[in-house]
Amino acid sequence: MLEGLLVNLVPYGKEFLERDHRWMNNQASFWSGGGERHFMTQAMIAARHAQWAEESGDINDELGVAFGVQSKDGTPLGYFGINWLSAHHRLAMLGAKIGEPQYWGGGYGTDALLLLLDYTFDWLDVRKAWLMTTSMNARVMRQMEKVGFRLEVRQRQSALADGVWYDWLAYGLLREEWPGRAALVEQLGLRERATAPESGAK
Amino acid sequence: MIEGTLVDLVPFEDDFALYLETWMNEEAWFRAHLWERREPHTEHDVKKYIERMEKDERGALIGFQAKNGDPIGAVIFDHEWPRVRKAEARFFAGDSRYEGSDEVLDALLMLVRYCFETRNLHRLDAVALPFDEVRLEHLRRAGFVHEGTLRQHIRWDGDYVDMEMFGLLDSEWPGYAAKVAGLDLQPSGLEPKPRPEKKDEKKDGAG
Repeated sequence: MLEGLLVNLVPYGKEFLERDHRWMNNQASFWSGGGERHFMTQAMIAARHAQWAEESGDINDELGVAFGVQSKDGTPLGYFGINWLSAHHRLAMLGAKIGEPQYWGGGYGTDALLLLLDYTFDWLDVRKAWLMTTSMNARVMRQMEKVGFRLEVRQRQSALADGVWYDWLAYGLLREEWPGRAALVEQLGLRERATAPESGAK
Repeated sequence: MIEGTLVDLVPFEDDFALYLETWMNEEAWFRAHLWERREPHTEHDVKKYIERMEKDERGALIGFQAKNGDPIGAVIFDHEWPRVRKAEARFFAGDSRYEGSDEVLDALLMLVRYCFETRNLHRLDAVALPFDEVRLEHLRRAGFVHEGTLRQHIRWDGDYVDMEMFGLLDSEWPGYAAKVAGLDLQPSGLEPKPRPEKKDEKKDGAG
């Protein structure tokens, strides 16, 4: 388990898999998937889990790492992980989704991201972490800037959400630009957030 | 077949497959496939790659040849995303005599033409190394717009290097005919190369 101030990163186990049906079909997927609207049945989710289980048994140096994000009281909140890890390029493409909208904007995602970056740089010895979001996702764009990612690429009109074209944005963070989790926890005031009386789901 | 100005796009048949055994181990191939680890590709690897592309519903491997029928290289669209109608565009000159030639540019234009005018795509992505002047020039002349740089993104010959990212929208594409009219494409005038010997022919000859 990776322990943060507002969340812990834990194995993406049964409690998380059971929530995938809701998280795939709600607004969380719309935001993380660049306007995607899924209509996934329980059977489709089960088939996807079976495929994951099969693939995770493969020896593959480009396999990702999946964490479940849970609140300090043990509530499963979503997924944070490395969607694609290239040992050859020492490069990690991150993916993230807080599936419970009432936890958006409370610092939970930022706390999870700092834990994931710490793991990515300090345990996996990756040189660069990067991720993609869309230009409609102002919340994630702000988060990227706060944590020190740089906007590297703007793929114009590559995302379609409710009939409107948006851009996919690529953000990158090099290891030498990463000040370490402890420094960012202080800089972003996460410790104060975790102890504030109003902390918790909105 | 789709006929272009200097080259034609054709199915990637056996004659191309024979050349690919060489092409997949050469510089032009790796510059078009930046994620690869430069592993040596055996005949078996080449066969598997062609089979994978033949089954791929979100991509295609297409040969391009000079007007005299001489195979030059391939254009590839891959990772087609139907919901947003986008795909990655790749191209390479297997025959290194054509590196930087207008034949290769015409092949790229033909790929764009096929993707926008036949497959009804909305957008194409492309990528190049910052020091790959030849590829950068082809992308620029084809009308691709530079959309950013993935910093120190991949390992390449002893260093971590940037990847230059490009995009082209269907609204920016004037149409193949209009595009070619503004480019003054010139043929290289190269003679066709000797055909590689087919494996079964070799066996027959030896028997």
